[in-house]
Amino acid sequence: MNDSFFLKIEGISKSFGALRVLDNINLNISKSEFFGLLGASGSGKTTLLRILGGFEKPDSGKIFLDGHDITNLESFERPLNYMFQSYALFPHLNVYNNLAFGIKDHFNNLDIKDKVNKISKLLSIENLLERRIRQLSGGEQQRVALGRCLIKEPKLLLLDEPLAALDKKLRSKTQLELTSLQKKLGITFIFVTHDQEEAMSLSDKMAIMKDGKIIEHSDPETIYENPKNEYTANFVGIANILKISKNINSYFSDELGIQISLNNNVENNNFKILIRPEKIKITSMANNVENPSNSFKGKILEKSYLGSFTLYEVIRKNKIITVLDQNYSNDKNFNFPLGTEVLCRWTKESIKLLED
Amino acid sequence: MKNKIFEKYFVLTPYFWLVIFFFIPLAIIFKISISVSEWGMPPYQDLIIFDNGFKFNATLYNYLYILGDIYYYGSFLNSLLLALISTIFCILIGFPIAFYIATSEIKIRNILLILVVIPFWSSFLLRVYAWKIILQNNGILNLLLLKLGIISEPLQLLYNQYAVIMGIVYTYLPLMILPLYGYLNKFDLNLIDASKDLGLNRIKTFFRIILPLSVPGIIAGSLLVFIPVVGEFIIPEMLGGSDRLYYGKILWEEFFVNRNWPGASALAFSGIFVLVLPIIIFQIIYSKWSQRNEI
Repeated sequence: MNDSFFLKIEGISKSFGALRVLDNINLNISKSEFFGLLGASGSGKTTLLRILGGFEKPDSGKIFLDGHDITNLESFERPLNYMFQSYALFPHLNVYNNLAFGIKDHFNNLDIKDKVNKISKLLSIENLLERRIRQLSGGEQQRVALGRCLIKEPKLLLLDEPLAALDKKLRSKTQLELTSLQKKLGITFIFVTHDQEEAMSLSDKMAIMKDGKIIEHSDPETIYENPKNEYTANFVGIANILKISKNINSYFSDELGIQISLNNNVENNNFKILIRPEKIKITSMANNVENPSNSFKGKILEKSYLGSFTLYEVIRKNKIITVLDQNYSNDKNFNFPLGTEVLCRWTKESIKLLED
Repeated sequence: MKNKIFEKYFVLTPYFWLVIFFFIPLAIIFKISISVSEWGMPPYQDLIIFDNGFKFNATLYNYLYILGDIYYYGSFLNSLLLALISTIFCILIGFPIAFYIATSEIKIRNILLILVVIPFWSSFLLRVYAWKIILQNNGILNLLLLKLGIISEPLQLLYNQYAVIMGIVYTYLPLMILPLYGYLNKFDLNLIDASKDLGLNRIKTFFRIILPLSVPGIIAGSLLVFIPVVGEFIIPEMLGGSDRLYYGKILWEEFFVNRNWPGASALAFSGIFVLVLPIIIFQIIYSKWSQRNEI
């Protein structure tokens, strides 16, 4: 029933010595998907990518690409390409020969020239063809590395931290270019990153990895708005997590000492909820009173003004809650000074239950 | 001002060193090589004789003599051939070793490097002598083969050109491995993966990525092996037989046995000329090539 998936990863495990780097990974990826593997360093994401590329052999498990078992194929036999974080361009060859490297044995010179011209136009590097690799900037190197893969018209492109080596300004520009390129070509992309913003903005679907396991797999909106577990909630974006205890039919946050009202009934007596900082409304105490539930009085402990919004850390008892306040006001004195007593409140709908 | 002068002369120190210990001895050898030999001490005539005026007593006889006698130029060609064969063997054996060391884990890497360098801690003469003990007719190797029943009588392993090549490859191998390792150590292993990813198998990857990028290391190692092997005297003397004469031995005999200092000097000087000239030409061509290819 899963045969419609383009790439199927079934039960992949891998250990380096005593260290279990990948623990029974199962993952299905659809055709033409831009798929992100997000995880902290040491989560096993790069090892998984290298296994897909054929540079590491898994201890167990199988990989099917487009219906074919590629588990035991050498990297040079796989119909996919891998873009290295360091780009791994060949320093003894110029840009033209780097681009032509993978097709040189399969086409005549005329066709090679044609293909190189086409791909260099696509990536707007046609004026760099005679250059040496050392004479290229980081962004140009990235394009050559991408072109060297795409010229082979792979079924699947694997990208290891594709934007990590670029400076911040170039990164956001390249991000957009990469997305539009992927949509235009329709090639399935799988990329690895430790940067949650990058994962969110590039991916159609993404998976969060932790300790060699995939702990969540969904689209970026679901992962941000409705994460299943605390690790994901904290890893992607800023999370306010409250421990809740149930008493008959009402719910309490002992940390804040307030009552919480929920949309649905929860069976468990103890569980955790997530409230994202931008879902919390912050107002001055002057013309507001504390509601019976889903609101609390607190003091401003820290704040960072970031132009379009301000991040506040509000303290109540010993619990710190982060609040994001969008700068709607035209009045430059809209910011609350440190130490101000404020009222924070949120709606029932903005509360998300965490599974573990 | 004082400092400036000091700096100036300090910078010149290596040049003084070169002049005193290289160019002056070289000039002396050249002077002797164009002198006329005679019985006496020193065994050559003065270059300039003040006898009823002024006489320039130089001759090219020594050089012409070498060129005219196969005993001399033949032994020189033998040495060049020996150096070439030994260098090729050193590359063939040294490259995989250097590559293996460069790509192994850091802990193991240091142990392997020490193993490569350890032979240098014992005397060169002893190491060659050890081979003599291993290879001689009642040596370890022959005894072992006899005991195993592989051979019925001892093999003549010593005193031939093969023993010489083996001895040279053994002693000079570290000089090939170390510079090669230095280059391969900087080699980005991702390049190998990248080449394979782009569809090239191991053999193609070796010839199109690994080999071209190791050329500087191979050249550095080859020069370190080739040049001294041409003049190698001890190894052919101890392990070699009378089947082949080598340059180093001829030079030694000419100097110490025949006491023909001008002849020996001419041999030495033409040796330098024949070795250094091609290397200089090669270096010029290579530096242009590598500039073009950015290696």
